[in-house]
Formats: sequence, structure tokens, C-alpha cells
Amino acid sequence: MKGLSQYTIRKRIAMALLMILLLAIPLFLSGKPYLMNVFILIFYTSTMSMAWNLLGGMTGQNSLGHAAYMGLGAYVASLFVTKAGMNPWLAMVLSVVIVGGIAGVVFYPCFLLKGPYFTLVTIAFGETIRQFVINWDFAGKATGISLPFGAQSFAEFRFMSKVPYYYIGLAMIVGVYILMKIISRSKFGFALRTIREDEDVAAAIGIKPMRYKVYALIVSAMIAAMVGSFYAYYNRYIDPDLMLQTYSVEFVLPAIVGGAAFVEGPLVGGAILITLSEFLRNEFGAILPGINLILYAVVLLVVIRFRPVGLLGWYSQSKAKAFVDTKILKKTDADKEA
Amino acid sequence: MEIFLQACVNGLLIGGFYSLMGMGQNIIFGVMKIINFCHGEMLMIGMYLTFVFNTFFGIDPYLSIPLVALCMFGLGALIQHTLITPSLGTKSFTNLLFLTVGLGILFQNLALVIFSPNYRTITTSYSSITVHLGPVTMALPKLISFIALIIITIALFWFLKYTSTGKKIRAVSQNPIGAEVVGINSKRIYIITYGLGCALAGVAGALLTLFYMVYPMVGSSFGFKALIVVVVGGFGSIQGAFCAGIFLGLLETLSSLIVGPTYRDLTVFVTFIVILVVRQIIILRRR
Repeated sequence: MKGLSQYTIRKRIAMALLMILLLAIPLFLSGKPYLMNVFILIFYTSTMSMAWNLLGGMTGQNSLGHAAYMGLGAYVASLFVTKAGMNPWLAMVLSVVIVGGIAGVVFYPCFLLKGPYFTLVTIAFGETIRQFVINWDFAGKATGISLPFGAQSFAEFRFMSKVPYYYIGLAMIVGVYILMKIISRSKFGFALRTIREDEDVAAAIGIKPMRYKVYALIVSAMIAAMVGSFYAYYNRYIDPDLMLQTYSVEFVLPAIVGGAAFVEGPLVGGAILITLSEFLRNEFGAILPGINLILYAVVLLVVIRFRPVGLLGWYSQSKAKAFVDTKILKKTDADKEA
Repeated sequence: MEIFLQACVNGLLIGGFYSLMGMGQNIIFGVMKIINFCHGEMLMIGMYLTFVFNTFFGIDPYLSIPLVALCMFGLGALIQHTLITPSLGTKSFTNLLFLTVGLGILFQNLALVIFSPNYRTITTSYSSITVHLGPVTMALPKLISFIALIIITIALFWFLKYTSTGKKIRAVSQNPIGAEVVGINSKRIYIITYGLGCALAGVAGALLTLFYMVYPMVGSSFGFKALIVVVVGGFGSIQGAFCAGIFLGLLETLSSLIVGPTYRDLTVFVTFIVILVVRQIIILRRR
């Protein structure tokens, strides 16, 4: 490979090894549905967190209503499947498009609001959608929707074992990660970060803040809708509680803990938080309900108090990274420029 | 008509609580420019404190108000001193926001672990007495609570307007740098402000305990309503928060009377979004 330094090649090899490891995990764990479930949970939570991070971390618009987009996506897809008998894959695509459209149209005026006002309107918006669904007869009101069970079939997005869900979830997270990486390096990504730092400056150099914020929201909502459809097909049951604000918060925490300034932040945060939380829920959930959420909160508080840049931000400034870079990846001074 | 009057009275009463919560939230926002997302949880802690004082020490809920206020002030001051003040330095709105969100999750689940998710109530000798005011009937505790709310509100106005500490709080909220220049210790004011905000939420909780069930999640809806109050009344405006709280209470009860209880929250949230957006458009037009 011409033009690539040793460092870049080694870094890519490390990524490839991680990928192979992730692809191989079901070979060892296919007999342990619980552990597979934890992985799937990590996949979709981290994907949601990346979706949030596009709007929150990159654009600086703190949304606390992302569970509503996910819920809406789940509902639209499930309604297409149960009421219209549509193919789940097609329903997923339609749901992504519809939710993206709804987010763009309904939320357009809300971007006039800034800072805390914006955050509040996202909460109110999420609650509004939830209340709307609770009162909506066609969508089963508060009881929710059950998706039909039946024979295993790829076309129907219905599998007996968790392995196919694992791979679909993995494809989802990798796809969204690559998309985020592309966005982050593109003109679009730089425009978003400019808006985060200073909207007036952005406007002065020809970036239209309103337009870019809406674009970011649409992409973010679309990813959320995709995750929502996946969630619906995976759990085969959805109810309005899916849109509770507590879930919105749970999607934000991985990004904050991992480091909202990094594309990888939500992945690191998600992997750590979900693993810890599921472990605690499994060990102590029966005697101390809520213990996993206490841990969530404590980790969050500790990270914000002592490492405000998140774990990845901390790592990137620490000696550990210097060691990994110089000793293992053989980073040279020339690489620092790149 | 009678139902309408009854709904109005109930709206006023619940609105009083929203006002009290909103005013606490508003002082905090005015001084530190942060949204306190665990305000509802402060109400919840206040309720549990009242419950504990009543069940284990036999203290009357109304007499426990000063105790609750003191405990909540201490808790608030502690949180401010150990967590929020150090984080204020990073100037990251996101981090401050999720700091309070994290505190909210922590308190909610601590309550869940300590008190279990069961609903709890307090009964006193005067719980079941009702008062007739013309066509309107209301429980005695509700009436006393409402009067107490009004007294506390007036006391708060007086405190902010005439006492030295109150003046300092207003000074920091109007111009933090100017306040520092004239020798106000802003860190101390932050502690007092956050403590005061928490104490107000706790007192609201204590007053609420007599006729409302106590459970770990009780704060979340109140907390968000308090935020609505602050936004509608205007960030930093105490009078605005008071009026907005009453308005919200009336809107809630009247909308559940007119469009039905299941659409109550929907009406409230849509009204909120519309007010927020329309006001912003008006502000932008004026420029």
C-alpha cells in the first residue's frame, strides 16, 4: 500500500483483528443466549448513542428526546408489518424515511431555540409523541404492538437463535460507525463542529446553521429509526414505554462517558456501561433492583467530575496512548502530521 | 359550573406546587445558568424525608417542614460544593446538564433500593376532614398546604428583595463578573442558591406528602413541569415562574375536564412547545 505509513497499517490491522474477533464471537457463545443478548444490547445502544452524538457531541445540540425517534421508528415499522403485512426489510427502510421526514419537518422550527431551550423542547417533543401513541387506538394504545411469531425466515426478519440478530446488529453498528467516520471527516462534519463552537462564526463564514442542524437531526433520527425497527423485530413486542425519557438519557450516557468529542466515544462508553450494568443486573438485580442504574449514575458523575472529556479524551492525553502508539504501533514523528 | 369551579381550585392548588418548584429551579438557573435536571428528585427526597420523620419519629408533616428544608439545604449545598462548582469551570453545558441528570438517576434508584418501589402514604388525624367553600369542597390538608405555599412564596420574595444574601443572589444572577468586582464571593452564593433551590423543592415535597403518594418515580413528572414553568415564565424571573406555575396547574385540570384526562399531558406539552417556538419567533422578529 503506497503512501500509508507503518503506523496506519498497524492501526488498520488492529481494527481488522477486532473485527474478526467480533465476527467469531457467536462461534463460542451461540449456546449462551444471555451473553449474546448483552452483545446485541451493546450494539443497538451504542448505535443509538452514535446517532445522538452526531447531533449532541458534534453539533452541540443536546437532545434528550432520542428515544422518541427510536420508538417512532419501531412503531412505524411494526405498523407496516402487522397492519399492512409488509416485508419487514421494506418496512424498515420506509420507517427510516418517514421518521427522517417527520423529524425534519416537525423539528425545523425548534432549531430556532438554543442551548437549554432546545434541550427542553426535545424532552417535550418526546413526551408528546409518547402521549400521542398512548392515545392512538390504531397503534394499540398503551398495550403496544406484538409482532407475529412464526417460522424462521430471513425475509421475514424472524430468527430462532440470537446469532442472526447478532450479525445484523454488528452490521448496523459497523455501518453507522463508518458513516459517522465519513461525516466527521467531511465538509459536513466540519460545518457541524463549527456550529458547535460558535454559531455566529459559522454563519459569518457561509455555513447556514439552521440548515446544517436540521440535516444532522434528520440523519440522527434516521439512524434512530433504523435501530428502532431492529429493536421491534428483535424483541417482537413494543409499547409506548420505549419512548420514556429515561431511555433517551440511557442513549446519551455512553457518548458522555466515552467522550462525546470522539466518533468512537459512544462505542467505548456503550461497551463499558452495558457490560457493567448487565453484570450487576444479573448478579444483584433480584435483591437490589435499580443497582445497575445507580452504577450508571455513579460512573457518569465520576467521569464528568474528574474526566470531563470522557474516557477516550482521557486516554488520548494519557501515557497509555503514548505507549501504545510508540511501542506497539511504531508511530513516528511523521505520523503526527497526518 | 360547580365542576368547573372545583377544577379551578384544584388547578390553583397543584399550580402552587409547580410554582414553588419552578421558583427554586429559576433561582438556580438565574445564578448559574444551568438547568437542574434533578429538581424533581429533590421533591421526591423531600417527600421521603417527611415520610420518614412521620413514620419513625412521629413528627407531624407540617412541623417537619423546617427540618426537611434544613436537610435539603444541606444536601444541595453539598452537591454544589463537591460536584457542580468544580464542573462549572469546564464551561461545558453538556457536562453540567448530564451531571444533574446523573444525580437524578442516582437519587431515584437509591430511593428504589432503600424504600422499594411501593407506594406509601401518610395519614394524620386531620387527613379526612373536608372544608366547604361555597360550592367547592376540598380536603383540609390541601387548603393548609396551599396557604403554606403562599406564605413561603411571599417569604421568598421578601428574602430576595430585602435581605443582604438575597440581594447578593440577584446581583450574581444579573452580572456575575460585576458581582465579583464588588466583593461578592460567588462560590458561596452558588452554594446558598443551590441549597435554597433544593430546600424549596423539598418543602414542596413535604407539603405534597399529605395527599399524594410517595414513590421513587414521583419526581420525574413534577421535575419536568417545573422546567416548563421556568421556561414559560421566563428564565430568571421569579414572578414569571409563580404566574406560570398557576397557569400550568389550571391548564392541566381544565384540559382534563374539557378534552379528557388521557389527553391532559398531550395538551400541556403541545402548549409548551407552541409557546416556546412562537416566543422565539417573536424575539427573532423584533431584532
